[in-house]
Amino acid sequence: MNMSTRMIGSLATAAVATAVLATAAIAGTDVQSALLAQWRVDAGQEFSAARGRALFERRANDWSCSSCHTADPRATGRHVVTEKSIRPLAPASNPRRFTDRTKVEKWFRRNCNDVLNRDCTALEKGDVLTYLVSLK
Amino acid sequence: MKAQMTTAAGNGTVASVRVWDVPVRVFHWLLVISFGAAYLLGDSERWRQIHVMFGYTVLGLIAFRILWGFVGTRYARFTSFLHGPRAALRYVGSLASRKPEHHVGHNPAGSWAVYAMLALGVATGLSGYLTLNEFGGDAVEELHEILANTWLVVVFVHVAGVIASSVAHRENLARAMLTGYKRGDGESIRASVSSPRRPIVGVLLASAVLIFWLGSLLIGGPTIIERSSQATMAQTAEDDDD
Ligand code: HEC
Ligand code: HEM
Repeated sequence: MNMSTRMIGSLATAAVATAVLATAAIAGTDVQSALLAQWRVDAGQEFSAARGRALFERRANDWSCSSCHTADPRATGRHVVTEKSIRPLAPASNPRRFTDRTKVEKWFRRNCNDVLNRDCTALEKGDVLTYLVSLK
Repeated sequence: MKAQMTTAAGNGTVASVRVWDVPVRVFHWLLVISFGAAYLLGDSERWRQIHVMFGYTVLGLIAFRILWGFVGTRYARFTSFLHGPRAALRYVGSLASRKPEHHVGHNPAGSWAVYAMLALGVATGLSGYLTLNEFGGDAVEELHEILANTWLVVVFVHVAGVIASSVAHRENLARAMLTGYKRGDGESIRASVSSPRRPIVGVLLASAVLIFWLGSLLIGGPTIIERSSQATMAQTAEDDDD
């Protein structure tokens, strides 16, 4: 390998890296709409804030989402078991919510299993997020 | 000082020697239970407190084991299983050979698994404690899961190693961790005067853990049940209003 091919190689690597980083940054700026778009495709149906609210407040077994996140997701929640406080879930009062995809997916998986004993569907997740975003 | 030397030669029976003292065995199996339970319950908010209970048990057990690594009986001491990485590789290589290396205490590869598991146990427990008390946020929460999963991988490697060594030496090593006896003509811990056997320490360890579990369940259990039944009653009242 001579000098110039090596240089072209590193330039190409740098270009690819920049492109990847830029894409990630743009994608990261709007996790909410990216998630909604993806779930929208999976659900094949429009989301409804009303359905989201109903799911959020409906008790299955002994718990509902509002058992911990309270009936007003803009308020500070309280864990029913550990009694520790939980920061508000609605982005209006807590802008850090729904900014990290893995975190969102992890807690939907965990909390849906806690309450419903199963994973939530894409439609259910989309409805809940639409409801939470609609709160001002 | 070899007070009791038994060999395969002579009477035709295979010599066995007491290697694992009671505290080491109690520690080992309580750790298996506590790690397994903490791992399985980690992903549920419903079982959060029980998860934390098993997590604290892990921390307590490991603290004990580290202490026992300095003051315990012969094969429990860290000084008896300080093997370099080259020794570990050589041991693993010898397993496939016709005459695998035999060690009365921990073999060199197994020693590394022990050190890795002790370190991962401490790190997993501490990161869990930090998460619970909300020091460090999402990064520590992630770290806690990564450490727990890494530990699980090491557990699988450890179990695979035990199986491989058991096959190579035609000796059930898992049973040895129950009975305390391994094949060989090394120095039995029973006979060693410099490090006497202390079964009472194992009994105390087991009692401490059982008391901790019972106490946690008696204090935590009813509140959990009470709180969820309150929630159910509130729901019933709402339903009646409709
Ligand atoms: C047992 C208590 C509990 C219940 C019930 C519960 N959650 Fe949660 N939820 C939590 C805790 C604890 C967190 C994480 C705390 C934090 O990030 O501040 C959380 C976080 C979340 C997040 C993460 C948001 C983000 O990206 O930061 C979402 C989404 C969520 N919950 C949705 C739900 C839904 C939907 C339900 C009902 C199916 C529900 N939760 C029921 C305790 C609960
Ligand atoms: C040492 C043994 C432990 C193991 C094997 C372990 C394992 C785990 C696992 C696997 C999870 C969940 C992973 C997932 O989301 O799938 C978890 C979560 C958790 N653990 Fe532990 N843990 C241990 C100790 C502890 C201790 C000592 C504490 C507290 C004092 C603790 C507190 C927590 C908390 C609060 C969570 C929820 C974290 C979150 O908010 O995501 N853990 N643990």
